[in-house]
Amino acid sequence: MKRLRRLLHTPEAIAGALILALLIAMALAAPLLFPGDPQAIAGPALLPPFRDWSLPLGTDRLGRDVLAELVHGARTSLAVGLAAAAAALLIGAVVGTLAGFAGGLIDEVLMRMTDAFQTVPSFLLALAFVSIVGPSLGVVVAAIAISAWTGPARVARAEVLSIRERDYVAGARVIGMHPLGIAFREVLPNALPPVLALSSVIVAAAILTEAALSFLGLGDPNRVTWGSMIAEGRTVLRTAPFLSIVPGVALVLTVLGVYLAGEGVVESTAVRRSLS
Amino acid sequence: MSVLAVSNLTKRYHRGGKPFAAVDDVSFEIGPAETLALAGPSGSGKSTIARLVLRLIEPDAGRIDFEDADFLTMSGAALRARRARLQMVFQDPLAAFNPRATVARVLNDPLRVHGIAPRADRPRRIAALLERVGLDAGLAQRAIHEISGGQRQRVAIARAIATRPSLIVLDEAVSALDVSVRGQILELLLDLQRQERIAYLFISHDLGVIRAVAHRIFILDAGRIAESGDARAVIAYPQSSVGKALVAAMPKLVRDRP
Amino acid sequence: MTALLSIRDLSVAYRRDGVEVPALKGVSLDVLEGERLAIIGESGSGKSTLALALAGLLAMGTEIGGMIEWSASQSQTPRSFAPLSGLPAISPARGEIGSFADGSSPATLEISKSSDDGSISPLAGEMPGRAEGGVPERRPSAIGNTQAPLLGSDIGFVFQDPSSSLDPVMPIGKQIAEVAHTHLGPGWKGAYAKAKTLLERVRLPNPDATIHAYPHQLSGGQKQRVAIAAAIAAGPKLLIADEATSALDTIVQAEIVALIRRLVSEDGMTLIFISHDIALAASLADRIAVLRHGELIELGETSQIVNAPQQAYTRALLDAHLGLNAEPLLDRQDTSA
Repeated sequence: MKRLRRLLHTPEAIAGALILALLIAMALAAPLLFPGDPQAIAGPALLPPFRDWSLPLGTDRLGRDVLAELVHGARTSLAVGLAAAAAALLIGAVVGTLAGFAGGLIDEVLMRMTDAFQTVPSFLLALAFVSIVGPSLGVVVAAIAISAWTGPARVARAEVLSIRERDYVAGARVIGMHPLGIAFREVLPNALPPVLALSSVIVAAAILTEAALSFLGLGDPNRVTWGSMIAEGRTVLRTAPFLSIVPGVALVLTVLGVYLAGEGVVESTAVRRSLS
Repeated sequence: MSVLAVSNLTKRYHRGGKPFAAVDDVSFEIGPAETLALAGPSGSGKSTIARLVLRLIEPDAGRIDFEDADFLTMSGAALRARRARLQMVFQDPLAAFNPRATVARVLNDPLRVHGIAPRADRPRRIAALLERVGLDAGLAQRAIHEISGGQRQRVAIARAIATRPSLIVLDEAVSALDVSVRGQILELLLDLQRQERIAYLFISHDLGVIRAVAHRIFILDAGRIAESGDARAVIAYPQSSVGKALVAAMPKLVRDRP
Repeated sequence: MTALLSIRDLSVAYRRDGVEVPALKGVSLDVLEGERLAIIGESGSGKSTLALALAGLLAMGTEIGGMIEWSASQSQTPRSFAPLSGLPAISPARGEIGSFADGSSPATLEISKSSDDGSISPLAGEMPGRAEGGVPERRPSAIGNTQAPLLGSDIGFVFQDPSSSLDPVMPIGKQIAEVAHTHLGPGWKGAYAKAKTLLERVRLPNPDATIHAYPHQLSGGQKQRVAIAAAIAAGPKLLIADEATSALDTIVQAEIVALIRRLVSEDGMTLIFISHDIALAASLADRIAVLRHGELIELGETSQIVNAPQQAYTRALLDAHLGLNAEPLLDRQDTSA
């Protein structure tokens, strides 16, 4: 309770948390609110919003319910964003910890690999990966993760370099603990806070990358995503701009919500650390 | 027979491009249940020797025999297993533990790593260790940062004796403690030495503390041994300039009736 | 002797996670002009809190009750210039700390107010000339007569760890000159000349070169000498040394204590020496105050505290000291075994 109160100590953090809570509720409730296939035809094509209250946001070129698509799209966006970010943070933290703790040749090899990944534009990397392996949800998650783990890896390595000189790491060696045990039991957990501070940026970027991939037709074809909705609306942009605007606004709000809530978490942990 | 025999130990560092020897051709031996003190001003190489003996850093030259085996050629699993017999207590008991740890986890680690007790038996072993160092067994579930400095140093000693070592390196182990706590910790160390026949490599800049607990003393100056001998004799009649300076610098408490 | 500082019923409490933790409980104490007072105690005794409270350095949100009265008037410092016209010969300058609810320390507010006054002091321009004469500098502590002491010019503060109290990326000469510049206002050239004199006074080798050195180029003892030079740069009446030697080894500690002793007597400063080491305190101080759990339990002349302590706790501290004449624990153990 105390932790929650500290988390919501700024209006920005409250706004972010509200937006996120709404989105998550929407994503979880999607099958209840709109049972059945969101891609089924529900009415006449290109019905503008607010005309027919059974289809409040209107229909697209094929007569599919835009609201149903939007709500189901939230599932994909959030699932891909969170899964990709979690994978990126995990890979980054492990690579960074190994490089920083082992030093020497292992450090050299791992960091040159990180350099290689970082010098290729991350979106191109994801694009290339999906076009070779083929579009599916898992592949999209992996594609985004391999283009986003380098940042966390560098932050984790820098933190580990300072932690490995501390007395308690020497103490663990004196006890006779295995180096891998020291790296992952003693060092990694204490190196995590600054790495996790990156998570809001990474989740937001992952959601955007997913939308961009779907926009280019490289998303999972069996799922509605906000990116594919925007791409769909593009062909009739002049006559029915709402088809692109509605998912676009949803995307902006999601990214904003993730970012604000993430900043709130970072700040509250910073406050706690300065207090202790 | 000695527990630890160090010969011609040398460790060089580079300072401003020039090499200098932090430890320069140092040799000494420690017998069973003996306390050997290393004294000297800061930068004299005492802590470097501690880290070399524990193989936290590697020497440039010299030989370390621990329990009559060449300690420097050991590596991997053999080295880790041998570490059970050679433990350390640090100056700052807060920095010496993982900041997230509980007392139970700190004491569980050596038991787990060296397979000393089956998992089910460990809580009992941890309670016994806590009682051995004069702490309440109920302290086990507390976080390290919640307990007092003196309690933390007792936990550090409990961790060090968990693996039944023959030698413990005490690196300024009582310097950060309050005087009232310091006396109790020193008594505990002496008691453990008598009961378990543990030898101590006792590193301190405080001659008063050394005189109270050490059998022999080595006074270091700029990485070299300036003088050595019976602790009380050397402190009473120092021969080297650094020994004289250390004795002269001790604040004297002159009391009419002590 | 007159009191330079009167502390009356001083209570300080910190707030931690909404819980109030008392650090000082109703401490009353007079610091006499020109004396060397040691405040000793173990961790958690409140000795550092007392030092910070006197210097107005307590963190925001600390609850302070009671009163600290600073009564350094110009007439009590014979070497200083004549008091400002219109002021009576003896004019206790008062910095009062009343009972305040949770909020910033009022002493801090007072100090920031008075620092503006200090920089426009009409006497400021004449300071460097006096520095060359080797005369202890004195600046009237405050223009008005109702102000708290000013950190830097009235109170010099030496912290325990010089590596964190000095700015790692500023040449040490500038760090000392800055103090002189801020409080005495002789201009940068004069301030640097003063910094050089101070480096000589704290016996740093080769002041001409050291003035341009950075803290990391110096040893721990040399850094503490620099910190002391900065603390006395504006000629304070009171020097507070908060565990100033406990991060140093015994040899360097003895040198720093000798330095503090010499500077205090040369400049006629009052010294408050905070320490956990009763033997060290006794070697330096005229009087010793013993704190325990935030309370002042004993105060007396050094010889009385050492030879005839009234409190069992003080006696326990004395007995716990391991001097070079104490009976070794090793023998006690062997005989009991």
